[in-house]
Amino acid sequence: MNMKKTFLKASVLGLLITGLISVQSLFAQSDPTGKKPVTSTYAITNATVFTVPGSPGTKATVLIKDGVITGVGSKISLPKEAKIISADSLYIYPGFIDGASQAGITKPEDPKRPENFVSSNPPDEIAGITPWRSADDQYSGSSSQVNDFRKAGFTIAQIVPEGGMIAGKASIVVLGDEKSTNILKNNTALAANFRGARGMYPATAVGVMAKFRDVYKNTELTQQRSVQFTSNTGVVRPELTPTYSAMADVVNGQVPVLFTAENDLEVRRAISLQKELGFKLILTGLEEYDAVLDLIKSSGAKVLIQLAIPNDKAIKAQKEDVDEATKAQYARVKEAYDQALAQAGKLEKAGIPFAFTTVGEKAGEILPALRKMVEAGLSENAALAALTSNPASILGISKIAGTIESGKIANMVLTTGPLFSEDAQIKHVIVDGLIYDYEIKEKKKGNGNGNGEVKAEGTWEYVSETPAGSSGGTITINKSGSSYNGTITYDNPGGSGSASSPLKDISLSGNNLSFSFDVAAGGMSLNVKVSGEIANGTLEGSMSIAEYGSFTLTATQSPTFTANK
Amino acid sequence: MKKLNYFLAALLGLSLQVAEAQTPKGSVLIKNATVITVTNGNLENSDVLVQDGIIKQIGQNLNAPSGVQTIDATGKYLMPGIIDAHSHVGLDVVNEATSPIVAEVRMKDVVNPYEVGLYRALAGGVTISHAMHGSANVVGGQNATLKHRWGSSDPADIIMQDAPRTIKFALGENPTRVHGRGNGIQPRSRMGVEAILRNGFNEALQYKKAWETYNAAKSQKGNTMVAPEYDERLQTLVDILDGKIIIHCHSYRADEIYMLINVAKDFGISKLVFQHTNEGFKVAPEIAQYTMGASVFADWWAYKFEVYYSTAFNAAILQRNGAITSINSDSAELIRHLYHEAAKTQRYGGLTDEEALAMITINPAKQLGIDDKVGSLEVGKQADMVIFEGHPLSSYAVPQMTFVDGIKYFDIKTDKDDQRQRVSPTEMVEEVMLTEENHRCMQDTEFLFETANALFHTNH
Repeated sequence: MNMKKTFLKASVLGLLITGLISVQSLFAQSDPTGKKPVTSTYAITNATVFTVPGSPGTKATVLIKDGVITGVGSKISLPKEAKIISADSLYIYPGFIDGASQAGITKPEDPKRPENFVSSNPPDEIAGITPWRSADDQYSGSSSQVNDFRKAGFTIAQIVPEGGMIAGKASIVVLGDEKSTNILKNNTALAANFRGARGMYPATAVGVMAKFRDVYKNTELTQQRSVQFTSNTGVVRPELTPTYSAMADVVNGQVPVLFTAENDLEVRRAISLQKELGFKLILTGLEEYDAVLDLIKSSGAKVLIQLAIPNDKAIKAQKEDVDEATKAQYARVKEAYDQALAQAGKLEKAGIPFAFTTVGEKAGEILPALRKMVEAGLSENAALAALTSNPASILGISKIAGTIESGKIANMVLTTGPLFSEDAQIKHVIVDGLIYDYEIKEKKKGNGNGNGEVKAEGTWEYVSETPAGSSGGTITINKSGSSYNGTITYDNPGGSGSASSPLKDISLSGNNLSFSFDVAAGGMSLNVKVSGEIANGTLEGSMSIAEYGSFTLTATQSPTFTANK
Repeated sequence: MKKLNYFLAALLGLSLQVAEAQTPKGSVLIKNATVITVTNGNLENSDVLVQDGIIKQIGQNLNAPSGVQTIDATGKYLMPGIIDAHSHVGLDVVNEATSPIVAEVRMKDVVNPYEVGLYRALAGGVTISHAMHGSANVVGGQNATLKHRWGSSDPADIIMQDAPRTIKFALGENPTRVHGRGNGIQPRSRMGVEAILRNGFNEALQYKKAWETYNAAKSQKGNTMVAPEYDERLQTLVDILDGKIIIHCHSYRADEIYMLINVAKDFGISKLVFQHTNEGFKVAPEIAQYTMGASVFADWWAYKFEVYYSTAFNAAILQRNGAITSINSDSAELIRHLYHEAAKTQRYGGLTDEEALAMITINPAKQLGIDDKVGSLEVGKQADMVIFEGHPLSSYAVPQMTFVDGIKYFDIKTDKDDQRQRVSPTEMVEEVMLTEENHRCMQDTEFLFETANALFHTNH
């Protein structure tokens, strides 16, 4: 598996290190590249500033120096060295904070099974019990995913290690200059979940719960023995295993457990373990939770909900001419969908301050999902708080982040319109005082080949960015009736030349084209999803492959090959 | 943080979530039914008054206190709620199959109150099911006794909190296949199964001793002894030895059944029920003498080698030898018509109505240790009841209403068709499990047979 993955990365997919237009290095002494910034003091003038969630936006200037906010207001005197960024038409929000993220995290290699491996009693490391691991060791700040999330407005993230039931310790990083370690704080939480180890103990949620109790209670006993050992003579040396040593600060209440609980039943399980054992609890990854709002509130657990909404394919597939029984079933699916969207709003009304996790989500789908939650009843203030001040408080970094105030880290998001309006785009993201600029796309009203019509059918030449340079091929789409079919060619991952696959799920909605295809590589099948916007005969979008992230894709339609019949 | 007393915690074996639960209780007067009490014969044209979930009066011409609803059951039969002593309905996980002993796992941790199978069971008159761990291990996990309070989202609401602890054991082909053939460890044979049991209990005795020695020493001046390792697996075996947990043992063959009786006798264990027990008829007197009986299928066998020597007379033979005998489902389908299953003991063995119905009511209640609370219609018992159209042992019997603690959870006339509590927002048609009627005893063990599967189901 791993070899194949490495091979694929090297050949086609890989990590794409682009995405920011300018990264300024602050401390270069001599700078033959000419990129050294003239100053590290900036004044962003006359913008509409939302200093804290809930405050009305007011016209103000924000002054930052060496990565710290040094002034916010309308009557700030600007120092001579300040570079002025005129932001009259822009809106400024505190930089977003991701309560739990795996952007830039690479899963470590599974350790080799020892010769005498017994699946009923595996070593902790193989069974997914690795509390000593740190997300720091699995993190790369220069990963394309980190770039993507920064582009979506995130400036700080609690990074969570990949792993089994007790995966390891999380850290808090700024999504800043890739030359820096960017670490704000490490050992911030212990990542745990109900996933069993495959083919060994504990393999299921019920085994994981028993094993969690076992690890926890034996950590307590080990500490007790250590106290006896250090204070008395004649005491047997306590066995300090990596697991018990790394669990000590959790058992002592210094480090919370960040428990992934996707639905209400898992939330109950995590809370029942917490009540039984007494650790500090942050629930994360919540997707279905409307049945446990009261329980969450009374437990005092902190909450990170999944920053995603269910896909609406089932809703959209509902037909008109169906019988009553089918209509009733449709209604229940619709009701379930509406209920899922409305949950965040209910959490707000229950008075539970929550933040978000983006684990498993794509950066580009974050803001649309959030806007849907707002449409379904979440207030804009609460949505902004869930991106800024709430995570700061949950992560214990309110002193330095979460709002735009003097003394805080210069982390901000600059948008072209009010954040939750459909048209707003992120123009700049400021992280640690570094300004990242993003291209603003003009909203295109449905247009195709000059005649106001968007067409998917035809032959497209595409280029996608990969570390081995650009790669590309041809996309052919045919229309028959109201449905599409087609093929795509690409560089053969199994060798030289090109290979092709049929396209699946081709859909054109407005000027948004999407499809997917499967690439067979070394006995593995990878599903590749492509989506983008068509304008003037070009398709601009992205190609994403689960686990590997997304890469830009540009295609041009060849009008000569598509005769208009 | 307050240090836990591990012995105490393990003894209680309950999470706090469980201890806090408050379940709803109802009041109702059922009039003019043929009341099948199971323990005190049938009462024609009689009334049963339930208040706050408890049967308060059984008799004629009872009046409803104000505010208590009256249900006319003229021409209908009222019987105690059916109890299924072997089920896996309402569980998210069935097998933690990875070790020959997993006594530390608790099915109460993974109860799923949304499973529609619970409602279907109610529609078959079943008010209590014994949600068991699977049979992949010699000593499986601790089971949960469920009361089918359909509609709650809280697992604690459907767990019968006042039922005693029970645990799953399994003998024969399942544990030897999973561990011996699947993983190359003990037990590979029936002898290995016995060795696992005896070694396990002996280790448990040592564990108990180690903690007793430590607890006695720790308060002494100048103590240098440190606490032993905590092990809930061994602590649970200690609890079995101390008589705090009822063993429910998956078994088929007479030799292995007798083996476990001997092991139990050697370790002073008396709370023991056999499950499946297809060859129970060969050792019926021994089962009657030494155990809390057998819970069997009416007529289900031949699904693996050890289950070929079977007879539909099994239940009747066990019963007439004095063994407490119940009929169970082990299936989300059979659970819907256990009254048919019970009736088969009349066709095969000529049991009386009372004996046949006891096999799905008071007998399983005895085996679960809850016969003082449920299993018959008696004043003072919890009001778990079913109203039948037709005698429950008739082929034409149809359950009409099912009550748990005096609350009606099933009504064939007024319930809406779609009883799903949870609907996926992303799937138009939910997945249908066509193989669900198979034994669920081995659910979650599929991965253990991956190697074999890979040989036959590959794409390349």
